[in-house]
Amino acid sequence: MKHSTFKIIKAATNITSGLSMSALIVLGVMYISFTNAFVFNNSGISVTNNPVTGQQINFILEGSREHECVLTRVHSHATNTKTGEIFDFDFDKKVYLRSGDYLGNATGVVDHQWGIPKPENMPAGVYEASLYSEFDCVYLLFTKSKVQMFDDIALIIE
Amino acid sequence: MDNIKNQQIKKQVERWDLFARLTPTMFLLTTLLLTIFDIVKIEYAFYVGLIGFAITAVTWWWWAIFTIKYLITTLARAAANLTNVDQEVADVKMELRKLKDET
Repeated sequence: MKHSTFKIIKAATNITSGLSMSALIVLGVMYISFTNAFVFNNSGISVTNNPVTGQQINFILEGSREHECVLTRVHSHATNTKTGEIFDFDFDKKVYLRSGDYLGNATGVVDHQWGIPKPENMPAGVYEASLYSEFDCVYLLFTKSKVQMFDDIALIIE
Repeated sequence: MDNIKNQQIKKQVERWDLFARLTPTMFLLTTLLLTIFDIVKIEYAFYVGLIGFAITAVTWWWWAIFTIKYLITTLARAAANLTNVDQEVADVKMELRKLKDET
């Protein structure tokens, strides 16, 4: 092999290994930040028609979302603060009141409002509602299942 | 003895050089292909890369420490030998001057 050819090959391998190393570091950091990120940032859920007098409880979720995530499973219930009795909400009967993103995969500011029928035999009182949701999130090559919980959502039934 | 050790270090440096040139590109391409064809999950590839990186870093660190220690020892010995030679040259010069003065 000629000396000049050897020098060119050496320089080329230097550049490719440097670029590969940089790519590996960048991808690694991006993967860690993706896996550690919450589905919703600076977010909160609250009941918008407190105290509830009708047959529907209206919720609002505000916040922002960095990555594309699709909701795969959700569970929500309310616990009576005095008796400790638990009432599950039926998410199959959820109705959207306002949402620019019904499939739940857009990034940016999130402003969801939905209503759920009040569970039958739910007596008047003060409740703490909680919401558990599972998502499949996607970012570039990466995919990850994530969970986000919202607790202590004040709910008053009259 | 020193010559053999020096040759060994030279060979080791060449191996490290080859390893540094080939491994990142090979790992990146292999990982991309395996994850694109869904053979390996990106999570496993990430941990394999992380473990490989850690093992390489620790191995290189200890190799570098022992090599530097050897080089410093060699350098100190060479410096001591040079001082001895310098002293001997000075003695010879002194002897020569004395001989010159006597004649």
